[in-house]
Amino acid sequence: MAYDRELIRNFCIIAHIDHGKSTLADRMIEMTDTVALRDMEAQLLDNMDIERERGITIKSSAVRMFYTHTDGKRYMFNLIDTPGHVDFNYEVSRSLAACEGAVLVVDATQGIEAQTLANVYLALDNSLEIVPVINKIDLPSADVEHTKKEIEDVIGLPAENAPCISAKTGLNVEQVLAAVVDTVPPPSGDINKPLKALIFDSVYDNYKGALSYVRVVDGVVKPGMKIRYMATGNEFEVTEVGIFSPTLMPIDALEAGEVGYISASIKNVRETKVGDTITDANAPADEPLPGYKQANPMVFCGIYPADGADYENLRDALDKLVLNDASLSYEPETSMALGFGFRCGFLGLLHMEIIQERLEREFDLDLVTTAPSVIYKVVKTNGEEVMIDNPTNLPPVTEIAYMEEPMVRATIMSPSEYVGTIMELCQDKRGVFEDMKYIEEGRVNIFYELPLNEIIYDFFDQLKSRSRGYASFDYELKEYAKSDLVKLDFLLNGDMCDALSTIVHKDKAYAKGRAVAEKLQEVIPRQQFEIPIQAAIGGKIIARETVRAVRKDVLAKCYGGDITRKKKLLEKQKEGKKRMRQIGTVSLPSEAFMSVLKIN
Amino acid sequence: MAGIYIHIPFCVSKCRYCDFVSFPCETEAKKRYVDALIHEMAIAAKELPEKQYDTVFIGGGTPSTLELGEIMRIMAALHDNFSIAEDAEITIEANPGTLDVWKLAEYRECGINRLSMGLQSVNPHILKALGRIHTPDDFLKSMDMAKAAGFTNINADLMYGLPEQSTEDLLAAIAVAAGAGVTHISAYSLIVEENTPLYFDINGGSVLLPGEDETFEMYEKSKEMLESLGFHRYEISNYAKEGYESRHNLNYWNNGEYVGLGLNSHSAMHIGGKWLRWANKSEFEEYLADTDEGKRPLADEPQTIERAEEMFECVMLGLRKTAGITNGEFEARFGESLFTTFSKAIAQLDENGLLIKTADGIRLNDRGLDIENLALMPFMED
Repeated sequence: MAYDRELIRNFCIIAHIDHGKSTLADRMIEMTDTVALRDMEAQLLDNMDIERERGITIKSSAVRMFYTHTDGKRYMFNLIDTPGHVDFNYEVSRSLAACEGAVLVVDATQGIEAQTLANVYLALDNSLEIVPVINKIDLPSADVEHTKKEIEDVIGLPAENAPCISAKTGLNVEQVLAAVVDTVPPPSGDINKPLKALIFDSVYDNYKGALSYVRVVDGVVKPGMKIRYMATGNEFEVTEVGIFSPTLMPIDALEAGEVGYISASIKNVRETKVGDTITDANAPADEPLPGYKQANPMVFCGIYPADGADYENLRDALDKLVLNDASLSYEPETSMALGFGFRCGFLGLLHMEIIQERLEREFDLDLVTTAPSVIYKVVKTNGEEVMIDNPTNLPPVTEIAYMEEPMVRATIMSPSEYVGTIMELCQDKRGVFEDMKYIEEGRVNIFYELPLNEIIYDFFDQLKSRSRGYASFDYELKEYAKSDLVKLDFLLNGDMCDALSTIVHKDKAYAKGRAVAEKLQEVIPRQQFEIPIQAAIGGKIIARETVRAVRKDVLAKCYGGDITRKKKLLEKQKEGKKRMRQIGTVSLPSEAFMSVLKIN
Repeated sequence: MAGIYIHIPFCVSKCRYCDFVSFPCETEAKKRYVDALIHEMAIAAKELPEKQYDTVFIGGGTPSTLELGEIMRIMAALHDNFSIAEDAEITIEANPGTLDVWKLAEYRECGINRLSMGLQSVNPHILKALGRIHTPDDFLKSMDMAKAAGFTNINADLMYGLPEQSTEDLLAAIAVAAGAGVTHISAYSLIVEENTPLYFDINGGSVLLPGEDETFEMYEKSKEMLESLGFHRYEISNYAKEGYESRHNLNYWNNGEYVGLGLNSHSAMHIGGKWLRWANKSEFEEYLADTDEGKRPLADEPQTIERAEEMFECVMLGLRKTAGITNGEFEARFGESLFTTFSKAIAQLDENGLLIKTADGIRLNDRGLDIENLALMPFMED
């Protein structure tokens, strides 16, 4: 039996990190009695450990709630929880497209931040009605009036009647529920038209296989139907449809306007791509819903097991993660220095960090990772174009006509007193100043064009430290631009260490080569022989350091016949050596590979 | 060849670098301990296979802090329970400042024929920084008394890489020891053990150690000087006049059998076809209680050393000797050739220029001895 569409509200919550998005969702779930109080835990929708710890949302999820309004009617709420980080921008945009409205949470102690704005623009692009909410009013430093003014001035939304809440204590959260009913329109769509369902996420379930999380735009979907994924052309038979309560609960059918999941015995999340449209294979829609894009990895790095014997375990772990993460890519690669591993592609740096952390925590793996790289475009002298995501694969210099690198447009929002130091940072990162706008007195929006490869290392950390944590940052990808790039190599005892190679701008190569060589000299322990460390650009040595040979061991005296200390010392030495990588005759500790990263 | 080690865990005061088990000298505690030690001898002698012992080493702690007559009791009990060879090398450790003519006479009386003196340094400032109670002068007086008592085989322990030490300091100590007529010198580099007072001094910045290069220079220069004075190097840190090598210590480096008696002492022995190692308890009262009950005061069950491990031990210890190891000894013990068992490691050391092949074996060259720990790595991988 269909629910009266007039009583359905589909919405999501958007906010800058730490502004209280997940806490507000928790309160709404509680107040609508969706989950028994005893089953309630904080950040209910963020069910990965890593999400809870970092206070971030990585995967989208959804929950269906029922709310009785002051008009006495019982409304069905479908809340879609979205990731907030720029790495997952595309996923966010699809989640927003599945809604008619968005609750915009702004922290009354912080005001609007770069991510707030980025998400608001995404919501407006998708023609969503926005319900502004001012959160954390219980904190002494909350400035409600100022925050309201900011919302009006910066975003241009009336905020006079915005609910002023404390998601933590539950204060005035009722007003948010009411505002959703009043502000967010009910879904349009036609139940009699051919099926069109928008996939806003896909999730792998151990029992049901890959599930499509969908918003049904037109038509009806029910078990037994044959459905087609319009982007891939694949067809499946629906085995189950259901809703999020918030655990998966099967129902008879999902109709236009509703949010739920479709299970069709699909083995891999890659078959059910975020943004794709599901239609009825027997009565297909004329055209898919707009906005589908293939999500492409932007940042690449090599991931290797610290212990070569763990290679198969690493493969298994990646196989498992990728079941649930269609945007993660990986393929085997071999490094002379690191042995067998994988070249992995990520949506961005946060995505990369999360995957590395999950591999180490959930699968108990010790990893060695190489410096992240973006994809460079190489135009060869014979006119051929190649895309390079691994410095090792760069063609010989003589075959390169020129190279291009991906650029981003960065938006940095900061108190105006930090403008100088932030501009210095951007300049240092090869940024080209575009514009600066005062949002209000004392706060500015700075726009820069920056090479992506400059912001994937430590840009964000530096921005935070230079602005005492006040500046926020967001970026969007722009096109490639011609750039004077070179490959910087490192030789240890004359042998090139491929895993240390990196592509850098020519103007920075000398400084970087010297700095990395110095760092390597620090982290490489003294060994039996002297180790020359050389930095080279195209065969030309630009820096040299030396790790001197061990002169003498510290020798435990086997006093009174106690040889256990000596044995322990040797065991420790052996373990230490096992954890190191052999480059020719040189033993290299894992942290050496990260030293390329940690250089400014 | 087998040895006996007897541990005496008492010191007048604890040196700041020491992390061995030792206790302050209290007459009552010493008496109880000597009683327990004598108990242990009787218990151990009953349980261990009978054999003749060629060396005895009374170490510590500071054995010379025992009351007059106590060493005599210990030695008498030792002879009662164990068969000690007629020509056994019997050593006692002593610190300058704890010796007197009566004690020395007692040692001679009960058959002790070797004395090992903890000199460490002749720089009063350094001795103080180490927390040692004696002065350089105490050493000379002790030496005179020892020689007068009839000791002709005397070792001096020296250390290098000490706080504020210079190469000149170290060479002066060698000159003093050699001039006083010692026949053996051990020169160990200071190892700063964790959680010793010196460790905290260094971490707190109140004590400064010489750098790696300075320490290496001390080591090189002391080696040269000792050789020129007729002390030949027979182990990484040990030098002796011809014929005065320590037989007790050589037994350790030959991975021979020995029994440890007393608190926290260590033993190794072939029993029932197995190569066993064990250690005594290190808690004073527990040790006393066990021996009182007629139990052997073992910290844990004896540990069986697997054959491959025993082979490695032979290499690890044997390569400390400048003479190295012989295939003859190895084959006699294991029934297989050293050159087959460790062919890969030997080839690698050879290639790395750390090894010299002798008529019937291998030894490390000077560079190999300098970096013995690294040189042993290939043997652990075989």
